[in-house]
Amino acid sequence: MKKDNKNQDRDDNNSGPTISFTKEELLAELDNLNRRLAARDIEIIQLKEKRGEEVKELQVIKTQLEEAKGILEVKVEAKTRELRNLTESLEKQIKDRIKELQEKVEESENSRVALMNMLEDMEELRRRTEEEKEKTLAIFTNFSDGLLFFDSTNKLVMINPQAEAYFEIDANESKQFIGEKIVNLKENQKFEYLAELLGSKMRKIFRKEIPMKKNLTLEVSTVEVGSEQNRVGTLVILHDITREKTVERMKTEFVSIAAHQLRTPMSAIKWTLRMILDGDLGPITGEQKDFLEKTYISNERMISLINDLLNVTRIEEGRHLYNLILVNLEDLTSNIVGSYTEIAKRKSLVLEYVKPEQKLPQVKVDVEKIRLVISNLIENAIKYTPVKGKITIIVSVEDGRVQVAVKDNGVGIVKEQQERIFTKFFRGTNVMRMETEGTGLGLFIAKNIVETHGGKIWFESEEGKGTTFIFNLPAIAT
Amino acid sequence: MSKKILLVEDEELIIKLLQKKLLSEGYDVTIASDGEEGMKAIRESKPDLVLLDIIMPKKGGFEVLEEINQDAELRSIPVIIISNSGQPMELDRAQRLGVRDWLIKTEFDPKEVLEKVVKQIGK
Repeated sequence: MKKDNKNQDRDDNNSGPTISFTKEELLAELDNLNRRLAARDIEIIQLKEKRGEEVKELQVIKTQLEEAKGILEVKVEAKTRELRNLTESLEKQIKDRIKELQEKVEESENSRVALMNMLEDMEELRRRTEEEKEKTLAIFTNFSDGLLFFDSTNKLVMINPQAEAYFEIDANESKQFIGEKIVNLKENQKFEYLAELLGSKMRKIFRKEIPMKKNLTLEVSTVEVGSEQNRVGTLVILHDITREKTVERMKTEFVSIAAHQLRTPMSAIKWTLRMILDGDLGPITGEQKDFLEKTYISNERMISLINDLLNVTRIEEGRHLYNLILVNLEDLTSNIVGSYTEIAKRKSLVLEYVKPEQKLPQVKVDVEKIRLVISNLIENAIKYTPVKGKITIIVSVEDGRVQVAVKDNGVGIVKEQQERIFTKFFRGTNVMRMETEGTGLGLFIAKNIVETHGGKIWFESEEGKGTTFIFNLPAIAT
Repeated sequence: MSKKILLVEDEELIIKLLQKKLLSEGYDVTIASDGEEGMKAIRESKPDLVLLDIIMPKKGGFEVLEEINQDAELRSIPVIIISNSGQPMELDRAQRLGVRDWLIKTEFDPKEVLEKVVKQIGK
């Protein structure tokens, strides 16, 4: 604009009157022009300065702007970084979370599988338990013996049909007894004998007989179920022994009749001979006496053979012991030994009895049976020991058992035959040459009797030197 | 007065022998040859002692024992069994019926029977 103004000024000067100018006028004009030019120059310089300041100002602004831009850029960068970090961290967190979740899912899947397996196992277990239960129940229900099961508090929990039959109750009736204590069962007449036998605390019973009614005898045994610490209950077994009892009675009758038939003539002969020998029927000559003595002995032998045979029948009847009583074996043995003194003397044998060193504990025995054992061993010793031999009977206590030993210096047992010595009807070849009579039953019977008493019998023997038979019986603590 | 013994036995030879033995000791001996006769004799004569066999015709020894046992008047009469048998079951039963002694004939002789009698009722 200023330029435009200058141009206007010049135009003004050029357009003035040109013809009449003098030199002074021109000079003045020139001077005027110069001055104007100078002013113009100053003005330009000022403008330039102004422009320079403006440029500077602008540069400052530019610098400021650049600085601001730099700061901003740094800030943006920082913010960007921050954001990136945040994003990364978030991403990581998400990833972790996802992983965690995946693990959780996996875990729960595993748990589910484990649970399924467990359930399957449980199911299998349940099935097997069920199977076991069914088996047990089948056995329980169909067992030919009567069975009752009492729990650990002695309450009746189960009763099988056979037992119901024994007590003459039907399945419905039996239900009302389930859950009853043994003490309460006693009040019912049908259970009276059994409850009495078992007692309120469930005694341990082994093969005890109870008469139920006519034609029914039961043998009762109890079995404790579970361990001592964890008693599950008690099984009571009722076994019908009516038939055995009948057979036993029939056998007893048979043996009684057989004994009667066989023994009657022999006892008549025995008594007759004895009375003749004792002079009850008048005097007899020495020769007659001699013959009659021999006849008497033969008759005695026959009696003992028959006794042996009848004893075998009895032994095999079921190995029953009757009348078990507590005795001191010393008295019994010395008595028996005493009864053989005469017979031993006749054969010039020394029969010695050695008393026990200490007081004997008692033994629980069927006296008649044990008498048979001791007599048998002594008789054998007497029979198979040559004249002037010695027989020693020793009673002692060994390892808490009462022991009886019968020792002789007789013919002994042939080595090869030793293991057969307790066999029924077996007789050693060497003794058969000495004594033709004999059933070979004595030791068989003795072994059975001793073992039925819970004892043991054995021997030590050397052919030509002698034999010792030893048996022991469990002592009863008093 | 001599003591009365009733011998209930079916074997003739045994009767003769025992009778002779007992008579020689001064006892008064009555004989019954079966259980029925024996029971009748016990009721009628109330002997001081009965020697009783077990296996006999008509009525056995155990039946006789049971009858004696059921009769308060007869229960106190001592009874000794003389038998050819002597099984534990029989002995048990006899013991429960109050028998004083049990002799197996093959194991005893008349002299010993006499001793048992003396032990029960004296001479």
